[in-house]
Amino acid sequence: MKQLLSLLLGSAVSTSAMANDTAAFPFDIPSMHEESKSAGISHQYDGPWEFFVGGGAASFDCNGDRRPDLFLAGGTSVSKLYVNRSAVGGVLKFERKKVNVKTRDIEKVLGAYPLNIDNDAHMDLVILRLGENVILKGQGDCTFRKANRDFSFEGGRAWTTAFAATWEKDAVYPSMAFGNYVDRTAPGSPWGTCQANRLARPRLDEQPDYREPQALEPGHCALSMLFTDWNNSGEPALRVTNDRQYYRGGQEQLWWVTPGRIARQYTASQGWKRLQIWGMGIAETDLDNDGRPEYALSSMGDTKLQQLDEEADEDRPVYKDVAWSKGLTAHRPYAGGDGKPSTGWHTQFADFNNDAKTDLFIAKGNVEAMPDFAANDPDNLLLGNGKKAFSEAGAEAGIDKPTRGRGAIVEDFNADGMLDLLVINRKENVSLFRNLGSKTRWGHRPMGNWLALELQNGKINRNAVGAKIAIKTGNLTQTRTIQVGGGHASGQAGFVHVGLGVAERASIRIKWPDGEWSHQYRVFANNFVVVRKNSREPLYWYPPGK
Amino acid sequence: MLCGKIKRCLLPAAGLAVLAAPAGAAEKPWAERSGAVGIVNEMPSGRLSKPELDKLVAAGEKLFTAKFTTVEGAGRPMATQAIIPTKRKAASSKMFNRLPGMDAAACSACHNEPTIGGAGDFVTNVFLSEGFNNADFDTTDPQFSNERGTNHLFGAGLIELLAREMSADLARQRKKALAAAANGNDPVRVRLASKGVGFGYLTAQPDGLVDLSEIEGLDADLVIRPFSQKGVMTSLRQFTVNAANHHHGMQAVERFSARWTGEEDFDEDGHSDEIGAADVSALVAWQATLPAPTIEQPKDAGWAAAARIGEENFTNFGCSNCHIKELPLKSLGFEDPGPFDVSGTLNATQVQQTATYDLALLQWAKDLRRNEQGDIMVPLFGDLKRHKMTDRQIETLGNELLSQRFVDRNIFMTSELWGIASTAPYGHRNDFTTLDAIIRAHGGDARKSRDAYVGSDDDGRSAIIAYLRTLTIKP
Repeated sequence: MKQLLSLLLGSAVSTSAMANDTAAFPFDIPSMHEESKSAGISHQYDGPWEFFVGGGAASFDCNGDRRPDLFLAGGTSVSKLYVNRSAVGGVLKFERKKVNVKTRDIEKVLGAYPLNIDNDAHMDLVILRLGENVILKGQGDCTFRKANRDFSFEGGRAWTTAFAATWEKDAVYPSMAFGNYVDRTAPGSPWGTCQANRLARPRLDEQPDYREPQALEPGHCALSMLFTDWNNSGEPALRVTNDRQYYRGGQEQLWWVTPGRIARQYTASQGWKRLQIWGMGIAETDLDNDGRPEYALSSMGDTKLQQLDEEADEDRPVYKDVAWSKGLTAHRPYAGGDGKPSTGWHTQFADFNNDAKTDLFIAKGNVEAMPDFAANDPDNLLLGNGKKAFSEAGAEAGIDKPTRGRGAIVEDFNADGMLDLLVINRKENVSLFRNLGSKTRWGHRPMGNWLALELQNGKINRNAVGAKIAIKTGNLTQTRTIQVGGGHASGQAGFVHVGLGVAERASIRIKWPDGEWSHQYRVFANNFVVVRKNSREPLYWYPPGK
Repeated sequence: MLCGKIKRCLLPAAGLAVLAAPAGAAEKPWAERSGAVGIVNEMPSGRLSKPELDKLVAAGEKLFTAKFTTVEGAGRPMATQAIIPTKRKAASSKMFNRLPGMDAAACSACHNEPTIGGAGDFVTNVFLSEGFNNADFDTTDPQFSNERGTNHLFGAGLIELLAREMSADLARQRKKALAAAANGNDPVRVRLASKGVGFGYLTAQPDGLVDLSEIEGLDADLVIRPFSQKGVMTSLRQFTVNAANHHHGMQAVERFSARWTGEEDFDEDGHSDEIGAADVSALVAWQATLPAPTIEQPKDAGWAAAARIGEENFTNFGCSNCHIKELPLKSLGFEDPGPFDVSGTLNATQVQQTATYDLALLQWAKDLRRNEQGDIMVPLFGDLKRHKMTDRQIETLGNELLSQRFVDRNIFMTSELWGIASTAPYGHRNDFTTLDAIIRAHGGDARKSRDAYVGSDDDGRSAIIAYLRTLTIKP
C-alpha cells in the first residue's frame, strides 16, 4: 500500500508539473473549433455491449477530387458517407450521400479502412462488422459495390475490431489482417474467449482472391493492428494491441510475416517481452529518426510509448516503455476535474501546429459506465515541446469536450495546410474540429509551414502503401510511412501531411514499397505535392479555388 | 485621425516620439551599445504619412549603420549562420569569423559603395555554406562554401514590388489554366509571362495537377525571388532577417524566438529577442525607400556620343533581352510585411494589419518615367529571372560546386545593371575589375550576346562600356 500511495502521489505531482509545462509551452497551440453541426454532419456511434468498442471512420477521396470524404461507422445506427464540400481555408462543409449498397452491409459496423485492393482508379473500403466483414469496391463518384464474392473474400461471422494491410514483396494485391475480439459463442464467453485473428493473403496475381486465410492463433482480443517495418528490414511485421479485459494469459503481439510462409508470432526467446495492457489503439512514428519506429499504445490508465531497447537487434524485438520520460502517459484527465484513470482509444501522431515537431492525439472516453475510470475524459492533444517530449494542450486547443471518443481522423479537410480533427463519439454526435491556427489578441494566424505529399506507385499498390518518406529541412530529417491500419478502427488515405516550421523549402526522398530509393525532390513549402515513381519532377496540386 | 499607425502618430508634437527611446538610452552616453536596437517599439501599420515614413526610414538608417555589440546581442556562440535556426555542435571560439560569420558589426560595413546601402569591394565578400550548417570552415575552397559579392540595395523597394506583381501575375495564369483545364476536361498548356518576361510553360490537368517541368528561370511555386545573386530571397524582410543572424549574430524575433525554436535565447549569448519585428520593419522601410539608380548624362561630349551608340549596341547585341531596360510597375505601395514570405519571415497573414510605405511620397519615385498606361517604368536593366551562365567554352561563372537553395551552380539571377558604374568590381564573386571582363565571362543563355560584343570592333565594345558607365548611383 505504501508503494501504491507513493506511486499515486508521484503521479499527482507529475501531473501538476506537466500542467505547469503546458502553461509555458512556447510553440503555437492550434485553435480547434468544433463545427460538426454547421458542417452538416449528424452522426453518432451507438449500440449495446458489442459496440462499446469500435466507432471508427475512414477518410479517403471517393469522387476523384483529391479531397477527403468520410465514411462513419454507426454501430447499430446505419453507417454514413459524407462528401467533402469545404472551401479552401473555409468552414468545414460535408454533404451526406447515401451509400448505394444493401443497408445490412453497412449496419453493425465498428470501423472502416480505405484500401485500393484491386489497383484500379478508385479507393475501396474494408468495413469491419459484428458479423460478416464487407469489402466495398469503389466505383467512382462515391459509389460502391460489395466485392466479397469478386475477391473470393469470406467475411466471416466474427466480431471484428481491427484491421491492417500491406503489400508483401512482389505481391500484386495486398495482404489483409483482421483483428477479432471476443468469441461470443464460446463457452464461458466473454472471459478468456478471444477469437483468432485472420491473415488474408492474395492467392493469385490475375485477380484478388482471398480464399483460405490463415488463422493467427492465439488471438487476444485485438483492438488495433498495424503492419510495421519495426527493424527497417523492408519486411513489415504485424503488431497487434490486445485488450486484457477479456484475454487469459494474453499479451501484446508481434507477428513475423514473411512472404510465402506462415506468419509466426515473435516469442520471449526472441526477445519479445510480455506486455499486458487494455490495448485500444496503435500509432507509429519515428521520434528519433533512427529508422526504428516508436509505437504509442493507448490503454486504460497510462498510454505506452514503446521504443526498441539497447538489447534489441534486427531479429530481436526487445522493447522498453519510454512514455513517462516523454510526458506521454496521459493517464488521467487533464481537465474536467475527474481524477480517475483515463481510457484511451484512437491514437495518431501528426503535426497539428506545423512546427516540425511530432504531436500525438489520443481519443478518450469511458467504455460505457466503468466506475473506476473517468467519466469525464477529454481527448488529448500532446504537442511536441522541443525537448524530445510532449506537453498537453487539449484544453488550450479547445478539444477538451466531455464526450466519449473512440475512432478519429486527423486530416486537412479544408486544404489550408492545417490539420483538422474528426472524433467519433459514442452515443453523441461526432466532434469535428477545424484548425483555425494560433490565437492572437486580434484573431487567428497561420502557424508554421507545411507540405502535403501524395505518392503514386504505379499500377500495383497505387497509393504506395509501405513507402517511407524522408523530409529534410536544414539539419532536420522527418519521416513518414504510408500505412493502412492502426488507430482505433479508423483509417485514412490521401495526402501525407508534414509540418516544416520556418523552412520555406524541403528536400524529400522516398523509399518506395519495393525498397527502391528515389532521387531527391526539391519542393517548396505550403504546397500539395504529388510524386510519381520514377518521375524527374514532382507535380503540384491546387485544390479548386486556390 | 486618418493616420497610418506607428501608433504614436496620435501623439502631438512629441509624436516625433514615433520612435521609442532606444534601449539603453538611460545609460551613460559612452555605453557600449549601438543605441539603435529597439529603436522602434510598435509595429507600423496602415498607410504611413510622409512624416511617419520619414521617421521610420530614419530609424532604419540608424539600424543599418549601427555597429551592434555583444552588450545588445551581437554574436551567436551556439547558433550557425543557417537560415533555418540551427545549433552549433560546440560553441564558436571566435566572435568574428570570416567564413561562417559573424563577419560584420554593421550592415553598412559592407553595403557602402558609393554610399550607405551600396555595394562592396571584394573584401566584403560573404560565404555561404549550403548543407554544412554546423561547420566552421578554414578554407574558401568552393566545394565547401560559395563566395558572394555584396550587392547594392538602391531601388530595392521597386525590385520587390516588381517581383510581387510578377508573382501575382503568374499565380493568376496558373489559376486560369487550371480553371480552363477543369472546364474543358483536357490538359491546358500555357506560356507563363509577366511584364514581357517569359518563364516557360506549365501544363494544368483537369484534376488540379500542374506539371512544372517546362518552367524557366524561377521556382516551382512561381514566386519570383528577386534578391541575392541566385535569386533565392523573396523579400527585403527575409534578406534582412537572414543577414542579421548570419553577419551580425542579431537574431530576429520573427524567426528565432521561442515561438519557433522553443528558446528565448537560441544562440545562447545571454540576450533574448534580439531584433524585434518593428526594428526589422524599419530596416525594410529604409532599404525599400532607397532611391533608384539613375542614368547620368556624361558631361564629356565624346563619352555622351559613345554612350548613345552603346545604348544602341546594348539592344543590337541582345544584352537587353535579359538586362531589360525598364519594367512597368503598377503600384508604388510597398506593403510590409509582404504577401509572399512564409513562416519564419513575418508575412501579411501574421499581423493584424500590414503597413504600407507609399514610395509615391518620395521625390525620386515621382521623377520616374511613366508609360501610356500610367505604369511606373522601373529602369532596372534586368528581368528578375534566373539564367544559365555557362557553356562548354565559357564556364568562368560556374566556378562553384554547390547549388544554393535548389539553384544549380551555374545559374544566376540576371544582375540588375542599374548603378553598375558605381559598384565595381563585378560578378557574383566580385572578382572582375572591368566591365569588359565580366561581359566576356557571360556564357550559356548569354553566349550569343557576349559573342556579339566580343565580335564587335573596339569602338563597338567601347561604346557599350561608355553606356554602362552612365548607370550610376548618386551618393
